[in-house]
Amino acid sequence: MNIFKGLIIAVGLVAAAPAAAQDWTPEKPIRIVVGFAPGGGTDQTARLIASAAQELFPVPLVVENRPGASGTLAAEMVAKAAPDGYTLLVAGGSESTSVPHHRQTQYSLDDFRGVVRVNREHMVIVSKAGSGLDSIDAVVERAKQNPGTLAYGSSGPAGILHSAFLVFGKEAGIDMVHVPYQGGSPALAALLGGHVDLTIITPGDARAQLDAGTINVLATTSDRADQIPEVSSLSELGYNVNLENMKGLVAPAGTPDAAVAYLQERFAKAMESDAFTTVAARSNITPSFLTGEDFEQAMRSMSDAVADALATGTPATE
Amino acid sequence: MDPLFQALYGFAEPATFLTLVLSVVIGLIIGAIPGLSVNIAVALAVPLTIFMPTDQAMVMLIGLYGAGIFGGSVSAILLNAPGTPASAATIFDGYPMAQQGLSTKALRLSLISSVFGAVFSIGLLILLAPQLASFALGFGPVEIASLLFFTFLVIGILSGNSLVKGLFSAALGMVLATVGSDPMLGIPRFTFGSTALMDGLTYVPLLVGLFAVAEIIEEATRGFSQSLGKVDLSGEDRAANRISLREILGNIVPMTRASAIGSAIGILPGIGATIASFLAYADAKRSAGSKGNFGNGDPRGVIASESANNAVVGATFIPTLALGIPGDAVTAILLGALVLQGVSPGPLIFVNSPDIVYTIYFALLGSTLLMGLIGYPAMRMLSLTLRIPKIYLMPCVALVCVAGSYVARNNVLDVYVMLAAGILGFIFNRTNVPVAPLLIAFIITPSFEEALRQALTRSRGSFEPFMINPVALTLVAIVIGLVGLTIWRQGKLRSEKAQVERMGV
Repeated sequence: MNIFKGLIIAVGLVAAAPAAAQDWTPEKPIRIVVGFAPGGGTDQTARLIASAAQELFPVPLVVENRPGASGTLAAEMVAKAAPDGYTLLVAGGSESTSVPHHRQTQYSLDDFRGVVRVNREHMVIVSKAGSGLDSIDAVVERAKQNPGTLAYGSSGPAGILHSAFLVFGKEAGIDMVHVPYQGGSPALAALLGGHVDLTIITPGDARAQLDAGTINVLATTSDRADQIPEVSSLSELGYNVNLENMKGLVAPAGTPDAAVAYLQERFAKAMESDAFTTVAARSNITPSFLTGEDFEQAMRSMSDAVADALATGTPATE
Repeated sequence: MDPLFQALYGFAEPATFLTLVLSVVIGLIIGAIPGLSVNIAVALAVPLTIFMPTDQAMVMLIGLYGAGIFGGSVSAILLNAPGTPASAATIFDGYPMAQQGLSTKALRLSLISSVFGAVFSIGLLILLAPQLASFALGFGPVEIASLLFFTFLVIGILSGNSLVKGLFSAALGMVLATVGSDPMLGIPRFTFGSTALMDGLTYVPLLVGLFAVAEIIEEATRGFSQSLGKVDLSGEDRAANRISLREILGNIVPMTRASAIGSAIGILPGIGATIASFLAYADAKRSAGSKGNFGNGDPRGVIASESANNAVVGATFIPTLALGIPGDAVTAILLGALVLQGVSPGPLIFVNSPDIVYTIYFALLGSTLLMGLIGYPAMRMLSLTLRIPKIYLMPCVALVCVAGSYVARNNVLDVYVMLAAGILGFIFNRTNVPVAPLLIAFIITPSFEEALRQALTRSRGSFEPFMINPVALTLVAIVIGLVGLTIWRQGKLRSEKAQVERMGV
């Protein structure tokens, strides 16, 4: 028993050695809260970074799913959690940049401070193959000829997909019908079945469906994505849209600098590990490191773009 | 090497085979614990699989899934507490069978029909996946809404003696289902400003409360019997618990019907195993007519429910593999795990990674057969649970209920919901209000509302699509036919009775 205890302490010391200069070392498990169900992109980021970073931490990293209300349930919980460095949220997507502009939430971006951005996920506007909507121009033209007939499927009301279509609609001066689904996969199924005209998917899914000839890939909403380099971005096509789904870790606003520095250093190191890079490369995750402060900045600019579109555009109520 | 043999060769690997055995056993146990659902088991296993070889990873997740769905029926039959929502309909006849000393038989029947249902749908998956998947894509909001509207009819069949009480129970279920954010605009309903209620109530705590907690309260009013349970295995009527081959063959038709219902529901988006087992149960009860003893321990009730919910397992893989779109929450997790393995799911998976597809087929079949082999001898031992005096057993069940309700969403609110549902279930039992309509209305309503409002949003408020849609029209015709048939049958029964009375017997 004593040998066992000694071993644990020894392992702990070795892992903690690089942190000797800092005055914060975790002493109990760190929770990484995910606002979405297992299996989705946010969950994947959390599981991957947690398993890659685990060996750099003397305490367990526990991924906890608290799905519900487009990720806001988890965001609210972390915003109100003790700012001691032991509770982190996977943020940067719908709950951070989109939902607070559509309805009242019990938190805002000010309630968090960034720890690290892990990856970004391009958003790709697609239509069904054979629908005649084979370019953004075709979409805009059809929408202008028959206003209010084109329908887009989203992953849920107030989510980042919903916002992206609102921003694009405002930029292009067109009016489309919003049909929300419970997640991105049902929305894609509805598109393939011809029940909606447009939706947004990830570049990995876009590549797979494109190769099978089931969809037209129209444009990305930020810059070009590696998986589909031939597809231009909306800004290249002349629409001022720059939105994407980011994933990173944030902590409650009052978390001490020492704790954030400790966490950021280790997660950044984990992102350079072989385990992380191999899995990310094979599973279409685009690693994109940003420091906590830069991550906060990136979320803010995206959040402002959505706010602008909702303020000046016609926020479709139905 | 041919991908088929490559996949088979993979199974010869001791590590892969052992993983399969282990995950089937763990799946059975987790499935049997009320509230700990398959989703949680599979989600917890994903991080373990990231750095495993792909076939081992798939085998692990699929073994957990299939065995977990079956495991739910064990506690449904023995404890009146469904281990997974999908086995809720198994309670109606499984628990009465257990109380009549036929627990081993009920468990064995449940296992046999689970294996049957699973093999049935795996067969469909292997033979017809692309065709069925493209058929399922045609089911849009209009079709789904019509189909779900049709399923509300089962409330009548599940209502028992009093249709009024059944409708009351269903109405309550429907109201409870509207709590939370509305699916179209995200506007909070009945949340009273609480974020915890934004996501609504879920069925795990409701289910555990209505059945298991209500049963615990019932037992408490009897002061918990301290004696050994009446199921004495040495003196157990082994003959009555034996299942003959003839009995199985005699039930092939109901099993096939239920499996077909389960498969059909499984390939459609967003409906799920729970509704499938209720529909199959209602279908079996209806087709048995007055000859059945449904609700009081009719073996066909167990058979229908269990064939159907396990048939869903194979069927959810049809859209998952053929389209790259997950069929339910568990296959969504599986697809996520595949992506982390570097396999891109999509319509081309059959071309690009046939070995993965075969591995999934073999894992599904292998886990089903293993479940049968491991499960059958274990069933009699599991029945021993009933010998534990209630005063020891019930507190353990209560503990598991609380833990299970909490773990599903890590939400304390769910524990209160479970307690409230337990009291409600107890009151319902005492006043002879059926619990089943509440549950089924609660499960159908959100999907129905979502599909209906999607359809109406698309048509800008017009009901016209429902008037011209062939699927919707066919379903309406069936509904009218079924209702007409029931009225005609009852009328005939009444006139026969009247005739008998007039004859002056």
